[in-house]
Amino acid sequence: MTAKTVRTILAIGIIAASVGLAAITYLLSFPDPDHSQRYLALQLEVTGSSNRVAGIYLNMRLFDTLLEILVFSVAVLGVRYYLSHASDVPTPSLSESGVVRIAVNFLGPLALLLSAFFALFGHLSPGGGFAAGVIAGSAMLYVAIAQGMEATEARLKPHRVATVEKAILLFVLCWVLLPVVLGRAPLTDLLPKGTAGQLMSGGSILPYNLLIGAKVFLGAWLIIAAFAQHRGEL
Amino acid sequence: MAAAVSFVLLGLGLVALVLRRDLVMKLLALGLINSSAILFLLSVGDRPGGSAPIQLPGETLIMVDPLPQALVLSAIVVNFAILALALVFVMILVERYHTTDSSRIEEELAHETPEEDEPCL
Repeated sequence: MTAKTVRTILAIGIIAASVGLAAITYLLSFPDPDHSQRYLALQLEVTGSSNRVAGIYLNMRLFDTLLEILVFSVAVLGVRYYLSHASDVPTPSLSESGVVRIAVNFLGPLALLLSAFFALFGHLSPGGGFAAGVIAGSAMLYVAIAQGMEATEARLKPHRVATVEKAILLFVLCWVLLPVVLGRAPLTDLLPKGTAGQLMSGGSILPYNLLIGAKVFLGAWLIIAAFAQHRGEL
Repeated sequence: MAAAVSFVLLGLGLVALVLRRDLVMKLLALGLINSSAILFLLSVGDRPGGSAPIQLPGETLIMVDPLPQALVLSAIVVNFAILALALVFVMILVERYHTTDSSRIEEELAHETPEEDEPCL
């Protein structure tokens, strides 16, 4: 049996299994899990955050989020390490478009503003630190396209950015372990909950959103800078 | 319905992952599989007539389940990390073997003698 036949049989098997699963899923209805009811019933009093998703991942399931941050940090480290050891491949530069340059100069600051809004109001409205960081990283990519990689790197030097990014990770880890020093359980929220619906509410969720936003932004910038340096051109 | 669509997307992603030889297409297939997982989780948390899970004290709303949405965030971040790292490995392979065809890379690897097999980096 040739490799092509094996692949074809495998593909037909996967398609049949997927269609079967899709049909079963369409016919079944999912019951409401009890765990979700518990989260829905308790969360507003426990977290003080109007945005229940933010309340879950930055308060009730903070441990998951810490691991997410660690996974992101490892990815940034890995990309930088492997690209710094790979040989650079200079790519011929593309012709620039005046329309892109002007549009990007306009859209870049707007995207940064949106990012700040998402980080600040992530506990009150849709958004949060991860989304804010990705938007800010995209904004910096816009700026780098418009103003050139060298000029942008001169403002946000990768080696300094890498230091700050690691410092934020350490700060977050110290922050979540601080309650242990005070004789309380780790990950306990030490800040007051405030009144739900107001900016200063949700305890540590607002600082977490700002820190995660900054970390994801800097990490995304480091990845962009590593790829650009490897290519020799953005 | 969305859950059923998610399984169709999963099947498409798996088929592309198995059949396509191009490494970049394989990465795109991985992204599709991740999207199917996200769609499935969101569909599990769906409620008929449910609004976004943002609620002020005193408000009574029928909300969609926020727990799967929180889990989706993990899925997105992990997928981003995997794709970024995998893309770097694909770039290194392309530099070494000058192709994105996985079969050709496997053939060249098979022809390489152990003496030629240098540590990757």
